[in-house]
Amino acid sequence: MSELKSSTSQIQVEQQSYQMPPQDGITVAQFLTVADIERSLRFYETVFGGRILSRGDSKGAPGYLQIANTWLIINVGGGPTPDKPMVTLRVPPDPDKVSSFMNIRVADIRACYERWRKRGAEFITEPKPKYGETRCYIRDPDGYIIEVGQSNLGVAYG
Amino acid sequence: MNQVQVEQKSYQMPPQDGFTVARFITVVDVERSARFYERVFGGRILTVGNSEGAPGFIQIANTWLIVYFGGGPTPDKPMVTLSVPADPDCVSSFMNIRVADIQACYQLWRSRGAKFLTEPKDKYGEIRCYIRDPDGYIIEVGQSKPDFAYG
Repeated sequence: MSELKSSTSQIQVEQQSYQMPPQDGITVAQFLTVADIERSLRFYETVFGGRILSRGDSKGAPGYLQIANTWLIINVGGGPTPDKPMVTLRVPPDPDKVSSFMNIRVADIRACYERWRKRGAEFITEPKPKYGETRCYIRDPDGYIIEVGQSNLGVAYG
Repeated sequence: MNQVQVEQKSYQMPPQDGFTVARFITVVDVERSARFYERVFGGRILTVGNSEGAPGFIQIANTWLIVYFGGGPTPDKPMVTLSVPADPDCVSSFMNIRVADIQACYQLWRSRGAKFLTEPKDKYGEIRCYIRDPDGYIIEVGQSKPDFAYG
């Protein structure tokens, strides 16, 4: 295990430090198209203890929220832009047909299930045993699924 | 084991306490995707999983990608089906890579085989471009302008 140091808005992995925005190299975030930026910021703040860094603005700047080791970037949808001339962003039209999602790995899934439910998270089911892990899913305000999973003992990457 | 520290709290994969945030993508070929994220972004392949249901894990900078095949409903999500993007041009969420030097990243990652939709373009608050991954997912690459902390 490596020696780590940190400061505000900075993440350090081994000898490399990560900032938002990065001063060198890269920092990886996740983008969500949402119907209501403020509602989504409050949800991720309330349930997961995320830290709101920016609420965006009406000119197109997105909302930023730090959550554990990464950042969520949140904005409303829209049609093609010059840098993605064929791509349209919109909230999930069918929340049951999913390709990618936020995946939260936890140390104690029972505790997270109880705590996050108390804070208003809507779980699809209670935690269930699966190959290599115990798992359940939350729906966020726009219908995105969020996986919550705890690897079984002896399974490094369940 | 990987470990990340933010302020006084440390994050591990798998976590020993608290939680660690990753991103899951449904893919056609776990090995192909793992190699792509390794080659282009210098990701570290921790496991390529197995056919019994264990996914691939790739560490990229401050987070992890979890990659696996699609499939029908499971007991813990009885109405949800996972599949690769049916229409890669209709997108709801995506990986967003914030960079310090977008021209350097554009040149480097292109030389490593990344397919960009366009060259970096000027946008409100930032300069931006997009990569398509092997399954058609878009990956945003953006550099905030000096006066925009969170552009």
